[in-house]
Amino acid sequence: MFIRRRMNNKLMAGISALNLIAGITAFLLISLFLQYHLNYDKHNRLYDRIYRLQIFSDVQYSSNPHSASVPAALGRHELTELPEVEKIAVIHSAGDDNIDGYYFSADPSSPVMIKSGSFSDSTIFDIFTFNFIEGSARDALTSPHTLVLSRASAEKFFPEGEAYGKVLYLENKIPLTVTGVYEDLPGNSEWRPEFLLPMQDYAEYTGYSNRDDNYWWYSFNTYVLLKKNADFKQVNEKIHDALKNYREYHYPYLRPLSKVHINAYFQPDMMIALGLFSFIALLILVLTSINFVNLQTADATSRMREIGIKKSVGYTYRELWWQFVGEAIAESLFCAMLALLVVHFGMPLYNRILGLDLGPGIFHNLQLIGVVMLVAVVTGFFSSLYPAFIISRYNPVKALKQRFLTLENNRISIKKVLVTSQFAISLFLVIVSFIFFKQADFMINKEMGFDKDDLITANIKTYRTGSFDPVRQRLLTFPEIKNACFTDYIPFILPGGDDMSWEGGLPDEKTFVRVYNVSYEYFDTYRIRITRGRDFSREYPSDREKCLVNETAVRVFGWKDPVGMRIKAPGKDWEVIGVVEDYVAQSVHNPIEPQTFRLMGDSVSLTGMYSIRYAPGKKQEAEAISRSVFEESYPGDAFNFEPFINHITSENATRIWGVFRNVSFMFASFSILISSVGLFGLVLYYCRRKMKEIGIRKVVGFSLFRLYMKLAGEFLGLIVLGIIISWAGAWIMYNKLPGAEKYGLQLPEFLIGTVIVVIVSVATISYNILVAARTSTASILKYE
Amino acid sequence: MNEVNLSVQSGEFLAIMGPSGCGKSTLLNILGLLDTPDSGEYYFNGVPTAGMSELNRTRMRKGKIGFVFQNFNLIDELTVYENVELPLLAVRMRPPERKKRIMAVLDRMQISHRRDHFPQQLSGGQQQRVAIARAVVPEPGLVLADEPTGNLDSANGEEVMQLLEHLNESGTTIVMVTHSMAHAERAHRTVNLLDGRVIIDHRIRQFHIA
Repeated sequence: MFIRRRMNNKLMAGISALNLIAGITAFLLISLFLQYHLNYDKHNRLYDRIYRLQIFSDVQYSSNPHSASVPAALGRHELTELPEVEKIAVIHSAGDDNIDGYYFSADPSSPVMIKSGSFSDSTIFDIFTFNFIEGSARDALTSPHTLVLSRASAEKFFPEGEAYGKVLYLENKIPLTVTGVYEDLPGNSEWRPEFLLPMQDYAEYTGYSNRDDNYWWYSFNTYVLLKKNADFKQVNEKIHDALKNYREYHYPYLRPLSKVHINAYFQPDMMIALGLFSFIALLILVLTSINFVNLQTADATSRMREIGIKKSVGYTYRELWWQFVGEAIAESLFCAMLALLVVHFGMPLYNRILGLDLGPGIFHNLQLIGVVMLVAVVTGFFSSLYPAFIISRYNPVKALKQRFLTLENNRISIKKVLVTSQFAISLFLVIVSFIFFKQADFMINKEMGFDKDDLITANIKTYRTGSFDPVRQRLLTFPEIKNACFTDYIPFILPGGDDMSWEGGLPDEKTFVRVYNVSYEYFDTYRIRITRGRDFSREYPSDREKCLVNETAVRVFGWKDPVGMRIKAPGKDWEVIGVVEDYVAQSVHNPIEPQTFRLMGDSVSLTGMYSIRYAPGKKQEAEAISRSVFEESYPGDAFNFEPFINHITSENATRIWGVFRNVSFMFASFSILISSVGLFGLVLYYCRRKMKEIGIRKVVGFSLFRLYMKLAGEFLGLIVLGIIISWAGAWIMYNKLPGAEKYGLQLPEFLIGTVIVVIVSVATISYNILVAARTSTASILKYE
Repeated sequence: MNEVNLSVQSGEFLAIMGPSGCGKSTLLNILGLLDTPDSGEYYFNGVPTAGMSELNRTRMRKGKIGFVFQNFNLIDELTVYENVELPLLAVRMRPPERKKRIMAVLDRMQISHRRDHFPQQLSGGQQQRVAIARAVVPEPGLVLADEPTGNLDSANGEEVMQLLEHLNESGTTIVMVTHSMAHAERAHRTVNLLDGRVIIDHRIRQFHIA
């Protein structure tokens, strides 16, 4: 009977189904996204016992006093002495510090840059789970001049497979034997190397030896596997002062792997963002439920005859109550299954929108399917409580006489609360989705403080030393090339730094300052403005002993006249000759840190970052010219050109905000759909109940316009109340957004959503008035 | 209702008449335990029902009282068979017995050939026969009919009256509200109401208590 009744009223049945399917689909998609982030690293069998060594720097100013970059020495000495520790693995990113990756080649003429690799102890396989498809963990990293590849990396050189035992050349020079290939690590892995090199080769490839006893060299990562039932807090107490003889105010500690992705450095941003999405998922479900309640009530109130008859033949209140609840749960479960199908077949699109790999489908995700089914049952159950209660308690005599149930008409009633909530939540979701979208867009596209366009960068691994000037002069002979510079780091590739004190500061006062080594024309090439003093100049040879700082450094140091003041770095003081305008050097998300810039010498290693500014529209020409000049200047060395913009789009915070922007846009669309469906159903039902009144008003001479204003007016108060509540809620949400900067909130975000909600309500009322206008008055009155 | 004193014997056929708004339907609803009087007593099968809860009245009503309405009150989404089945579902009769009972009643009402049709596919007379089938299928002791011929033409109305008479002859107590004097005279007794009061209580023919 339930199905037949739905088929007899396809419009309302369709609205109800669309509401549930859209709502559960949105909930599912957000849940997948949340699950992805909450399940980071859980593929590791020993997940609960894995920890990352980190250091807390208790210095006065640092945007981020925590770091996972630690000295290898701690893993070689202090940690090995602890009874709680079962295994330790020290790793280091492969590539030089400023170049992510190495060039590998089976054929010297065609090197391929593979990024995201690491030098690693062989014990890494005892800690993390690597599934080997060729070779084995037992001997994969135990010999020098060997290499272990991920499947994706191996396929670049050996598409047919069978990489084991084959030779690849590192930087076209060093032959390495492939001793293993492992299955690609899941996308939600905090550490996801594409290749591994034995740590015993680190000194040879990088030129840095003696790092195992060096407590000052903070560029390693160390992972620790604790024994079962070991307490990491006890370990933290034991290693707390391990660096006190080397670096004051630096305190090492173990951070559980389970916290590394969401909250590695005790910054709540990721948690806040995920929390906000969880809240939105819940709200979408609440909105769907409220819609469902209103639609169920609407449907139930047109079942008066059925209720009256069943009561008259002896159905008790409880039996009717269970009937309504059972139908609601059945409908909810059915729509949940349809939602699962929608999500399953939409996964490729969703993955593309997010730029993540959440899997090809959903039917393997039994945990989520179980949750969704439970949510459907709970939604169906709670959504039907109110209508079931109302209907089953109704007097059977009235039920048989009336066509429609007249609900309570009190000043404050459950019905009005539901309707107002529906308006408020709908509008809130739409506004918040827009705010998220705009904030994400702002973070990605905001003014960086330098000119990011018309730039290509190249990194080279070479053993040559010298000056960059001759190469630069050769490049500038071409009109397509406007400028070029050479640095150890560029914006969006983070350099190291040091704790420094400064002239005028207290003796013990230090702060962390990032250090950049740059060639002449760096600021000119990137069009970074110098606000005080001057740039480095060839006219002043003493500039090699001097530095520039950024405005944040000036503010932190409390300098009124920074030119001529001194920074006190370990081992040397640096005089400031100029101040540069703050620019985004690290990521869009984090606050700008104090920075200092030093001039490179005339004879330095030419391994580094090259930045080339070209004339607008001449990118391809510039790349061809640069390639030719570099091949001539660095014969046999591997290098790779890419647009500067890639460094921005691949940067972690940018990627995350990009994902959030896409997700926000998707959920703005869902919110609008669910809200529209719910409002349409609500107003449709309401207008149908008013058909008799509409007919009578027509008889006495009301015009269409007056009819319209009469109907709309009954909703107006509830809409206004809903708008006030939703605007207030959205304002609160805006203030909770994570990130160093927020875009300026403006009226359009509020107005767009409000206009959409109002338009849907207006459109629905208009539709019903038009239907009434076309229907003969006699038919309307007979309808009742 | 205003100081109505009335008793109905088991097996009696009582017709209630009166102008619109005099309280006929209200009286019927009280007799059928669908409504409760503001004051006074109502004994059904000797059991006092004043102050009884809705749940207890439902339980008392279940299977013992059948209703026939002027506008049939069939559920549009159910077939003829399913409409008639409703009261038996309420008393939780087992399926085999249920089916047997329903088919027997449909045969008696001469409507079994339309058992898979929906109400909107039937004529008025057929719908009322289905409604009567639904009312009698649990073999209630009492059938309350509220203007059962009101929406029917004379031929169909006559058919319905004959069905009610046959029911009464087989022992079912019938209380019928009607505007038709001709139909009222087929009862054992008529009661006329005016402004909530019984103004005439007239025996038309002898009634023997079974």
